[in-house]
Amino acid sequence: MSSLSARFAENVYWLARYVERAENIARIIHINETYARDDPGGPDWARVVELYADGERFAQNHETADAASVVHFYVLDKDNPTSIRSAIAQARENARSVRHLISTEMWTHINMFHSRLQSMTRTDVRSANLSRVATSLICDCQTFEGIIEGTFVRGEPWCFFQAGKTLERADQTTRILDMGYGRLAAAEGEAAHAIRRAVLLRSVSGYYAFRARHPAASQSSDIAMFLLYDRQFPRSVSLCVARLSERLRELQNRHGAKISADVEKARRALEFSLETGPGAELSAARLHDLLDQFQISLGRVSDALATVYFNQ
Amino acid sequence: MAAYDPDGFFCELFGGAAGGANPAHAAKIIERLNQLDIAALRRRAGDAKQELFNLGITFTVYTDRDSIDRILPFDVIPRVLSREDWRIIETGVKQRIAALNAFLHDVYHDAHVLKDGIVPAELVRGNENYRPEMEGVDLPHGTYIHICGTDIVRDDDGNFCVLEDNGRTPSGVSYVVENRHLMMRAFPDLADGVRIADVDMYGEKLARTMEGIAPAGIANPEIVVLSPGIYNSAYFEHVFLAREMGVALVEGRDLVVENDKVFMKTTSGRAPVHVIYRRLNDDFLDPKAFRPDSMLGVPGLFGAYVKGNVTLANAVGTGVADDKAVYAYVPRLIKYYLDEDPILPNVPTNICRERDGLARTLADLENLVTKPVGEAGGVGVVIGPRASRRELAKLRAKLNADPDNYVSQPMVKLSVCPTLIGRAIEPRHVDLRPFALTAQDTWVLPGGLTRVALKRGSLVVNSSQGGGSKDTWVLV
Repeated sequence: MSSLSARFAENVYWLARYVERAENIARIIHINETYARDDPGGPDWARVVELYADGERFAQNHETADAASVVHFYVLDKDNPTSIRSAIAQARENARSVRHLISTEMWTHINMFHSRLQSMTRTDVRSANLSRVATSLICDCQTFEGIIEGTFVRGEPWCFFQAGKTLERADQTTRILDMGYGRLAAAEGEAAHAIRRAVLLRSVSGYYAFRARHPAASQSSDIAMFLLYDRQFPRSVSLCVARLSERLRELQNRHGAKISADVEKARRALEFSLETGPGAELSAARLHDLLDQFQISLGRVSDALATVYFNQ
Repeated sequence: MAAYDPDGFFCELFGGAAGGANPAHAAKIIERLNQLDIAALRRRAGDAKQELFNLGITFTVYTDRDSIDRILPFDVIPRVLSREDWRIIETGVKQRIAALNAFLHDVYHDAHVLKDGIVPAELVRGNENYRPEMEGVDLPHGTYIHICGTDIVRDDDGNFCVLEDNGRTPSGVSYVVENRHLMMRAFPDLADGVRIADVDMYGEKLARTMEGIAPAGIANPEIVVLSPGIYNSAYFEHVFLAREMGVALVEGRDLVVENDKVFMKTTSGRAPVHVIYRRLNDDFLDPKAFRPDSMLGVPGLFGAYVKGNVTLANAVGTGVADDKAVYAYVPRLIKYYLDEDPILPNVPTNICRERDGLARTLADLENLVTKPVGEAGGVGVVIGPRASRRELAKLRAKLNADPDNYVSQPMVKLSVCPTLIGRAIEPRHVDLRPFALTAQDTWVLPGGLTRVALKRGSLVVNSSQGGGSKDTWVLV
């Protein structure tokens, strides 16, 4: 029988989600700063705010969405709960609560990462430094994943960690795809099209992975199908969902976590919303509906985990 | 090191001021330290400090907007105890704990010690740390203080004496172990060829102790560490204890009591808990039994405890034994329960409720430290040599009006230890807190926490007032 405290399951789940979230934000900023520069409209910083549906909160303290304001908002702003600094502070608080269950290396890394972020200033994220800083933030998140791989015991806490990570990753990929596909559809001319495709793919670290899987001239819809259904690309939605399902099964079957019809129902609904697919004609609107439905299902899985395992 | 001068105090490394004590045991270490220049020492100290931050061996200070992580300053020059010194401390601590446990069992049962007039009854029963709820409650092995951290100082002549018995929830043992790790990383060469008693087994011994006090009939007891949570300044230590024992670290909200049994909320439902190493004060343990406003405790926990379904370490109500008022009687308790002379004496204490004690106090007020017994944290303490004539007059009036509330002690000249201060090695005062574990028998972790007052001349070793710590080496 499991003896993992419900609270720790929740802490470890959120630890994973926050780090995954931070990595994605850092990448989006990095890509927007570098590759999106060539876009005829210039890098569109408003799209980043839109991506995370933070428009209202952003507008409270900022008049325009330019590089300086958006980067500050998403990297350094302590008052913005979706900033990287806030995410890693949250990750560290969660890690602190489960510190006796995770490896020393995991804790030390997140602690040092947190302290680097705490001492970061506006100068560090100036345009000239931004690419380097964003890369190092991504690297810190990825190092964390490597440490997990090498030191985290494959028990129940690890399963909750992986569940949180895959769920957050699926959420991020769907958001990025939704936004990027809309922009692709709105692109005028071959050049703008090519740039926006590259931006979309690079935003999920999938540019070369896609090239390798689709060497010939490809359609925008190929990119959407790749990000949704590729069974080898680690950030594709369906691979994330498959991993999530594996971990949830493992929790119940191998580690004695409660077997719950609610979790099972939410998980099946998630798989189902993905299997239905966007149909033959992949329009931006249809894709948007699908992704919307998928995000709702994702939220339901998270809610079910909270009800069944975390808050009893 | 050549310029080091202990300033007339007893030095832990070099011995007595007159050079009378034999520092032979430390000769090799002194020689090594002499070979290191200050720059190298400072560099290694800097590395050690950074490592404390990286490992998060910190306590957090919260303000409205920010949280700041602080470390307990670590001094890289170890405090060294000879085998002979250690034998005195070890046997003395064991003896003291045996007497305190016997005393606690007695006062919560037949109270012979009060009937025989060894300790005034009102001093015990009127004490705010006395828990009448514990009367008649039987505990495994009759042990109340399972984890003890006795504060010991060394006087001018090199003799150890006890300053305080911490029998509630003494903290600091995590620093004993972490300081050693830090030291071995920063200064592997310093200990080369010197045999030092290991401290790494503390967690295992603690786990054995907790198993040893489980309720009768429980073969594989489930042990947890109960913490007030991540905002507590000792949270790092709570994590350390749980990790070292390999058990869960819980907060009150993770536990629930049903039918006088304690359970932990887990991902598979409720799992029974048998032993709780609690780092919460008695007051906060159970809002049903003690403070009703406690958000940190577990409703019904005390009921489960009294029924014998769960063991708490330390027991409820130990505060009456490590209280300032009762402290003065401990040498007599050792005689009363064990028929032995104390191996570790108290700092000589005048009990003002006794006629002789009051007379001695009044006659020598300007040289003594006078303490009200009911107060904690240094409140109301008058240090004779530093008090004005008016303060002393006021104290004299108070003593005459309410002598029962006071004890007095001579000023203890704490021993010193060479300590890296800026670019020099200077003497700084130290104390020692060895940690002892008791299920049936007592085991003492060799060494203990050496706290050092980093301000020149200061005798205050508390971390909140400019204190730091050192690794403590017991030579074997």
